[in-house]
Amino acid sequence: MLDLKKLASELPNRYVTEARERGTKIIGYACLATPREVFDAGGFFPYRIRGMSVTRTELADAWLSRFNCGFCRSCLQLALEGAYDFFDGLVETNGCDHLRGMFENWQYAHPREFFHYIRVPHLTNRDSMDWFVEELELLKSALEEHFEVEISDAALLSAMEMQREIAGKLRRVYESRWGEEMRLSGGEILALMTLEGSVPAAEFSRLLDEVEAEYPSRPPLQYRARLLLGGSATDEIDLITELESVGGAVVADSFCFGGRIFREEEPPEGSPLEQLAHRYLYNLMCPRMFDDYARRKAFIDSLIERSRPDGVVLFHNKFCDLHGVENVKLRMDLEKQGIPVLTLEKEYGAAADVGRLKTRVQAFLERLGK
Amino acid sequence: MDEVVIREHQGLCDRVYSLFSIVGKLRPDISEEETEGILKLLPPDTYRALRSMLRQDLLPATFAFMRMLQAWMEEAFRARQEGKKVILVPFNFPPELIHAFEGAFPLTSEVLSTLGVVVLEGQGERYWDYAMGLGLPDHMCSSNTIELGSVLTGKDFSPDAIVSSAPGSCDVNSSIHEFVSHLLGVPHFMLEKPGDSDRRGRELFGRHYLSLVRRLEEFVGEELKEENLRKVAEKCNECTDLYYDLWELRSRVPTPVPAISSLYTYATRFTMWGRDEGVECLRACVELARSNLERGYFPAGEVEVARPLWIYLPYFFDFLGFFDWMESRHIANMGDVLMCCFPQRIDTTSRESILEGMAEAAWNMPMTRQMGGDMMSRRWLDDVVYAVKGLNADCTIYCGHHSCKQTWSVFSQVRREITRLAGVPTLCLQGDSWIRRMTPMAVIQEEISAFVDNVMRGRAKRRGGKRPRRARSAGSAETPPAVDDPASAGEAAGEEEAR
Repeated sequence: MLDLKKLASELPNRYVTEARERGTKIIGYACLATPREVFDAGGFFPYRIRGMSVTRTELADAWLSRFNCGFCRSCLQLALEGAYDFFDGLVETNGCDHLRGMFENWQYAHPREFFHYIRVPHLTNRDSMDWFVEELELLKSALEEHFEVEISDAALLSAMEMQREIAGKLRRVYESRWGEEMRLSGGEILALMTLEGSVPAAEFSRLLDEVEAEYPSRPPLQYRARLLLGGSATDEIDLITELESVGGAVVADSFCFGGRIFREEEPPEGSPLEQLAHRYLYNLMCPRMFDDYARRKAFIDSLIERSRPDGVVLFHNKFCDLHGVENVKLRMDLEKQGIPVLTLEKEYGAAADVGRLKTRVQAFLERLGK
Repeated sequence: MDEVVIREHQGLCDRVYSLFSIVGKLRPDISEEETEGILKLLPPDTYRALRSMLRQDLLPATFAFMRMLQAWMEEAFRARQEGKKVILVPFNFPPELIHAFEGAFPLTSEVLSTLGVVVLEGQGERYWDYAMGLGLPDHMCSSNTIELGSVLTGKDFSPDAIVSSAPGSCDVNSSIHEFVSHLLGVPHFMLEKPGDSDRRGRELFGRHYLSLVRRLEEFVGEELKEENLRKVAEKCNECTDLYYDLWELRSRVPTPVPAISSLYTYATRFTMWGRDEGVECLRACVELARSNLERGYFPAGEVEVARPLWIYLPYFFDFLGFFDWMESRHIANMGDVLMCCFPQRIDTTSRESILEGMAEAAWNMPMTRQMGGDMMSRRWLDDVVYAVKGLNADCTIYCGHHSCKQTWSVFSQVRREITRLAGVPTLCLQGDSWIRRMTPMAVIQEEISAFVDNVMRGRAKRRGGKRPRRARSAGSAETPPAVDDPASAGEAAGEEEAR
């Protein structure tokens, strides 16, 4: 049986080691707004930066402050310790103010030779879309020039097709929790979703085949209630596992390492980069996108309708303003719809916080009558 | 503790307005004796602000400032009665665009919060507590959450629409304004700063700005007239000239410019820039400083022990403990980054040139200029180094407002680079610029005292008591670095150091 959690907890994992041996260039990125297809098409291995639930951030705290989110501090800590030294380059996106600071400090204190910034718009109007297409063209040119590779339209289309295939398989596994019987826990699914960003595309596709193949032989899980989780950047697999231990099974989520990976809209015709720009910008279910709450709410409503949770738990990492505010809006709106909601502020990765969070979730389950 | 109940018309805006209508009746030539008598009637929080503002040596500037704010608030309330649209804007949106409409008027959320903190008993805390009671996290920014908390009580003056110009430079500012518009169900107009400080980003920003103009015209139901735009732009240009006059005067050693003038300057920028009242306020500040210079009066004394530039925000919750206290200890406060908007004169030739000039002003508003764009650390550092050198500051202070996640995220780098490029030390504080609960003023004073005593006095001794003066160009201040200028002040300073 595949141990997805163990695989997801390795840094570097075996795929990184194998890629280095092959001479494949590995590019680090942080945000869901980064179209990985551009890297895939150039023969790169795009690797999504994670905090890995690191809690000791003394190196990072010398650069970022304690008023910056723990996820970003954890990522920077790993960077400064050298854990991400296997990156041949870094690509920044302006995901949020904390992330911007993280990248600026990383490049200041521990620079990578290749460093590129994709400036993602905060709005989804025509001007912003044109801008984002240009940004992807700039990214492509920067990669081609620095690494002396060619990223052709044909390669982009092939990479996009591969990602569509992966999305289809991943969705099947993800939605396997929506039946009455669940055989993969929320923690395991989150582990799988984080692997999406740390395994090369072709190998991830094969991994998904393995997961699907062994699914029927997994024992069904027992649970008291079905929960939908949402909120700030969370790759804390152990946290989700701990919360599920009190009986709440995570059937869906809107995390950026989770359910937000799925892109619903079919892009219009256009060049591959135009299609990618549309696909990514119009499916960025993150509160860093302003004037777009209605779309995110519709996304959550759709998840609720299909996954049928008994309640919704919304997290935000301490000092995460975007999700801190978004969660209030969501709570108000969901409660008006009669959906029970629990909002929790937490410190990223803090083992000391788990007890408190478990108690709150336990109480929530009792409130749900489960 | 008694529960504070917010009743009808006891929102922040309503209370501030009623207080200003009283304060506005004071005579500008009021004597110290009468001032003290009136102040004794005031509750302690209000006393500490007005005691500072009504200092005898500040009266001309203070009264011009209060007249400006009174006019600002009166016009907002009158506008509502006349059926005009009152549009809430953040501090980093230049209000002159709204002033050019006949059917609209701007109110600035952070200025309202500040006024509440300054003049109300209890400051802004009850409104902040109300916002917290809704579930908003305590790491929100008090600068706007105080006023917006009051709006959300439903018992206060509330806007017809909200403009948000913080996307790209401040997540928390953008989020809270969007949240309030969502709850109130009022239109929300956004102006994004692209993450590119070069020409390409500036061009996109210009398109965003013109699109915003069109949407506002549609909302207000009025096409902006060229003559109205020109009238406002001409007044903007007068304000710009006075801004640089004050900048130059502030740079003198010792400085004849009272510390509180920086607040008066940027409060004007955020409210009545482009209006007669704004011109009068700035003119009063300039005239006061010139008069001080002529008679040899320097608010922080002839021998200044330190000339700190506050590299981001100051503290607003205790004027007496902040502005006056520093001056009494011969610490000449050089102002803060809210002053660093570096306005440029607007070409008033045509509607297009005026709107282009206003877009340029929006691009350069404080926080947008420093925190929007490609690299927060670099853009912020450029302006800080420019201001340190231009104002002859000899140290910098970072107030450490907890909610400024962007500045906090790059402060460590910037502090190092300030030392390297400008050769001055930096004091790092932690506090909330609008709420005294986090760090009381006594603690801030203690930190500043220790810094001055242990760092600044020692430096002065090593210099033999002499303060190095940087060359001042004849006439107004040198042009600050353009945001997309690769040969920025910071880099130029580095070259100068190397030479």
